[in-house]
Amino acid sequence: MSPAFAPGALQDLERACPSGARPGTEVDTIDGVAPSFLAYPKDTREVARVLKTASSYNLPVVVRGAGTKQDWGTPPERVGLVVDLSQMTGVVEHVSDDLVVRARAGTPLASLAATLAGVRQRLPVDEVVAGSTIGGVVATGISGPLRYGHGAVRDLLLGLTVVRADGTVARAGSKVVKNVAGYDLPKLFAGSYGTLGVMTELTFKLRPLPDQRLFVSASYPSPAEMAPHLAELLRSQAVPAAIEIDRAEPDAAVQVCALVEGRPRPAEVRADLLSRVMRDATVSLEAPPWWGSLPGPVTFKLTGAISAVPSLIGQARNCCAAAGLPARLWGSAGTGVLYLGLPSGTDPEQLASILDQLRTAASEAQGHATVLRAPAKSKATLDIWGPVPGLDLMRRVKQRFDPGRLLSPGRFVGGI
Amino acid sequence: MATKQHDGRPLPTYVETAAEDGHLRSLLNDCVHCGFCLPACPTYQLWGEEADSPRGRIQIVGQLVAGAPVHGAAAEHLDRCLSCLACVSACPSGVRYGEIIEEARAKVERANARPLPKRLGREAIFALFPYPRRLRAARLLLKAAESTGLRKLLHYHWLSSHLPAILMATERLAPPVTPLERLPPRVPARGPSRGAVGLLVGCVQSVFFSHVNAATARVLAAEGFDVIVAKGQGCCGALSLHAGRMDEAARLARKTIDVFRAEGVKLVVANAAGCGSAMKEYGRFFAGDPPYTEPAAWLAERTRDLSELLAEAGPRAERHPVPMRVAFHDACHLAHAQGIRSQPRELLGQIPGLELCEVGDDTCCGSAGVYNIVEPDAAAELGRRKAAAVRATGAEVVVSTNPGCLMQIGAWLGSAGCALPTMHVAELLDLSIRGGEAPRRPLTRPST
Amino acid sequence: MSPSSPVAAAVKALGSVLRSGALLTDPVELATYECDGLTNFRARPAVAVLATTAEEVAATVQTCARFGTPFVARGSGTGLSGGSVPRSDGVLLVTAKMRSVLSVRPEDQRAIVEPGVTNLAVSRAGAPHGLFYAPDPSSQQVCSVGGNVAENSGGAHCLKYGFTTNHVTGLEVVTPEGETVELGGMAPDTPGYDLVGAFVGSEGTLGVATKVTLRLLPMPEAVQTMLAAFADVDSAGRAVSAIVAAGLVPAAIEMMDALAISAVEAAVRCEYPAGAGAVLIVELDGPRAEVEEGIAEVRRVCEEEGAFEIRFAADNTERAAIWRGRKAAFAAMGRLSPSYIVQDGVVPRSSLGDVLHEIGALSEEAGIRVANVFHAGDGNLHPLVLFDDQVLGEEERAEELSEAILGLCIARGGSVTGEHGVGLHKLAAMEKMFSPEDLETMLLLRSAFDPEGICNPGKAVPTPRLCGEPPRPCQGSHPLQEAGVAEIF
Repeated sequence: MSPAFAPGALQDLERACPSGARPGTEVDTIDGVAPSFLAYPKDTREVARVLKTASSYNLPVVVRGAGTKQDWGTPPERVGLVVDLSQMTGVVEHVSDDLVVRARAGTPLASLAATLAGVRQRLPVDEVVAGSTIGGVVATGISGPLRYGHGAVRDLLLGLTVVRADGTVARAGSKVVKNVAGYDLPKLFAGSYGTLGVMTELTFKLRPLPDQRLFVSASYPSPAEMAPHLAELLRSQAVPAAIEIDRAEPDAAVQVCALVEGRPRPAEVRADLLSRVMRDATVSLEAPPWWGSLPGPVTFKLTGAISAVPSLIGQARNCCAAAGLPARLWGSAGTGVLYLGLPSGTDPEQLASILDQLRTAASEAQGHATVLRAPAKSKATLDIWGPVPGLDLMRRVKQRFDPGRLLSPGRFVGGI
Repeated sequence: MATKQHDGRPLPTYVETAAEDGHLRSLLNDCVHCGFCLPACPTYQLWGEEADSPRGRIQIVGQLVAGAPVHGAAAEHLDRCLSCLACVSACPSGVRYGEIIEEARAKVERANARPLPKRLGREAIFALFPYPRRLRAARLLLKAAESTGLRKLLHYHWLSSHLPAILMATERLAPPVTPLERLPPRVPARGPSRGAVGLLVGCVQSVFFSHVNAATARVLAAEGFDVIVAKGQGCCGALSLHAGRMDEAARLARKTIDVFRAEGVKLVVANAAGCGSAMKEYGRFFAGDPPYTEPAAWLAERTRDLSELLAEAGPRAERHPVPMRVAFHDACHLAHAQGIRSQPRELLGQIPGLELCEVGDDTCCGSAGVYNIVEPDAAAELGRRKAAAVRATGAEVVVSTNPGCLMQIGAWLGSAGCALPTMHVAELLDLSIRGGEAPRRPLTRPST
Repeated sequence: MSPSSPVAAAVKALGSVLRSGALLTDPVELATYECDGLTNFRARPAVAVLATTAEEVAATVQTCARFGTPFVARGSGTGLSGGSVPRSDGVLLVTAKMRSVLSVRPEDQRAIVEPGVTNLAVSRAGAPHGLFYAPDPSSQQVCSVGGNVAENSGGAHCLKYGFTTNHVTGLEVVTPEGETVELGGMAPDTPGYDLVGAFVGSEGTLGVATKVTLRLLPMPEAVQTMLAAFADVDSAGRAVSAIVAAGLVPAAIEMMDALAISAVEAAVRCEYPAGAGAVLIVELDGPRAEVEEGIAEVRRVCEEEGAFEIRFAADNTERAAIWRGRKAAFAAMGRLSPSYIVQDGVVPRSSLGDVLHEIGALSEEAGIRVANVFHAGDGNLHPLVLFDDQVLGEEERAEELSEAILGLCIARGGSVTGEHGVGLHKLAAMEKMFSPEDLETMLLLRSAFDPEGICNPGKAVPTPRLCGEPPRPCQGSHPLQEAGVAEIF
């Protein structure tokens, strides 16, 4: 426990959170930073009390759900308190006719999916990182294949309850699918890495579970050969729910897989249409093994205009092949979001050089290259976020929401 | 949101009274300010300014009714309206914009609100246009100017930039002088008669488009109508009415009513969209003017556009092939004021070998009565746009139902170096019924 | 505006930084900008700037910032909540002249447009490439993209396609301090906060968009439109639930009740089935095979719920005929009543039937007729409260009834506005839907963008107190808490 924090903090935290509070230990480190305390609130009220207490002691707070993505982004500068939401699980409200669900932030995505499947509904968000909670997915804004057909998690988030740094509880959005009352704060919080507040409840728009899912796969020797087929896929009226690519090694063939979802007979017609567009494609009930799995353990994220995807794949190959690194590239060709996985032992300087080259490539593609996750020692030498347009406005937003810089300080863009 | 609709409104008169403002107010109240008229309005398309949109003008008229002075900006924005009534077609609330702008213009007219040069120009126009005899004199002058080369001389740079814009605009639009085709008082039907119809020969039409009138009479006769060319008729008053010159309009309209009443015809045919729409409004116009209330309604009920009558009656004469690609332009006072869109197309469709192309842009061509003379700049831009849209169809000839539109489109096609022939629907039908040759050269003079 | 008024100095400065003709000062012309589509809120701006470039927008905002002059941005002025009502002590910044489609990139499925471009013009620009812009508010031929961004506009088809916020990927924005920033872009997930998401729907209070990057979608292969007539609203409501329960996602599900039907029959003779107590319009689009099976399923469901007549549109003309009645609904109310109030509330879809009954009861109690026209698929009600302003006290009772209907929406955990926005009109309702803490949190965002409070002040989110006034204590319970939809904290 850091001596910088006033004595009595633990007692006050315990009082604020009868459900559990304790001193931090080594196993609790957040991306290499050891916390002083942990609290395990079970509801919004306890979170509010905990944050109020933390702010009175000036304790920097990091939120944790299942802890699956704690090494994403920049490491926090200091961690006084980890607010662990693993006890805040479960559906609060789900009226199936409304196709809307409200659930606690610590609810694992998988368990929510299981609940919803019971009424043949789903939240069309992929579990890209196994074990993720809904809060973690929203906080990082991570998306998978279904983004192409259903939007990113920000597009599905209708409302939320959030606790601000000083313990103020606020709600935004609503539980109806159509609502323009007030600012769209759910969008602001989605992907904010816990730097604006602690989300405790989330309301999502749902979709019916499709009767049939067909995966149409083809393989192309190079990105250039893939390009015309990809362009045609994007134009196709078969309306795929996902268009994914995977390249296991820098010089391996590029795998493309489009997903068709719908009623059984029409889905077959559509899959057939797609397989003709993709040429020599196979249609399967099973997803390919690489489907929806994030490459790693070191992961860079690359974005670009969708027509630039083939060239991004080519440039990623070039810089990895030049470095002689086995790198896997995976992502959504339909939306222009790609992830490059590199081996854990990669030399930090080599990583920095690859990141530089990717950044140039992404910028030409009108996108960005960022570090999603990397070993703590490499992060110190990497520019995690790269150039951030509108950073000044973002700093001001942060300053208003968290004037004391107590929420995940340093974890986000520009040291926010 | 509270919106108002009033039914059973009092009908207007052309005499200014307090009742008129009350009526105007109730017309204005129908507008819910939704803005659906904006994209339909030619001047809003040009400039994107609220004051040059129907919604903005309605607001301005509201200011006038509330007592704002009728001068400067208010008069200017009302003058810039083409009265094309595209806004009326676009309006979901049924606002009677045509009546609003007419009454508002009458206010501008009475207030003498325009700057002097503008006022003089307008006076000159209205001293000439509604009077066929004066127009015939003007035609002779124009003919002389053409034969001496004076007309070409006008286009020398120095001269053209020093003459009044209004004169240059008139010259630019004036068609080449064609021989006058005089019509007998009665053109008998071919075959068994389907009834006697009066033909409005009009003012400008009768002097500069006598060939269109002649074609109209031939087509009507061929289709089995006895055509009565009522003697003593002149201008129907449309130009004055649309310009808010209410007393002048009333005088001309009364004369037109008298002439056709005397003939006791079954129907009266107009081949100019603006004239037909004005005559159909006579009933409303004279509603508060008892001696004329009934006769005006009589004529209004009997007025038909040529295409309206022919489409309703159905073809009788044989149509010979006219193998041409034809671009059809909707005259605003036919499409928006009279709701006549399908009939002329139907008639063109009856001509074998004719390929009908739609002009993608259905905005007003800028002709709009005397608009292209009094507001030459806006009219020029609209004319240019329309010419480009016509050109894009790849048509060999432009057809419409209004001589003004044909002059305007012809002139601007000529300026764009694409001198297509322009024809009235009557001329094309006449051609088809007579089995004649399609024109191979422009019917209007390419402008410089 | 007196020469010594605070705004006079700003106007003088604007005259020196803008091209001549950009500044509108004639009172007659200024008055044409005094309101948007909701005409009971009006103010004549001190001056209007008719901007033609982003640079002019920036110069105007910088000048306003320098003099602390309030400014309001306006597109086509078709809003229905008073969101672009000018300030008489401020500048109205009109973007209607900025109407260039800057580029269409079919290969990237994007269009980049200026804010004055109309919604429909975007779809028209995409059409030659087989693409369209999905959000389609009913004013789409006139409303501007800039206004759509401000209001997060939806449309009849937002049930399937979502709202403006789901289709804007990038913005060039002039901040209230006059700085031009790029937010988002062609690619998704720009690092940092999703300020594009925060800006869309902010009702012009966070700055002025000068360039908008929009997502275009491939046009659907097939569209099928169906009209189903029911004896009453209940059975139609059950059909809506059953369609959703069957796992279908129609592009649109619209409902009208008997009173609304009688109005549109009088206005546009749409010839809906005689004797219908309610009609549903259901539209499916997408791959042909999917649409064909889906519409058969919709038909089956409607028949099971008691539809006594079902019609399909065989072509675009018939499709337009089915929609004509629905689209004419608001304007047609004049046939039933000299005046009316359009409400815009949202309830969870499953409580539609109950809420309609409650509205019926309220209407009976007040002796005021209510016609119902609504986006049934997403629970967005547009009750049209009919009254005669010539009858003493009727307008007040209509207003009360309209407010009571919003109360029903709040009690069900719904929203006080589904698409028209807050503007000036719903400011009071915001305080009923949200707690002071909720509103204060929203204002944090606003003050980050607009610390001086000059950008469309007094709209969108109520400002709870004046400067220097002590924070008021939190009184009573949260409205959502009272409604039993939120936990107590």
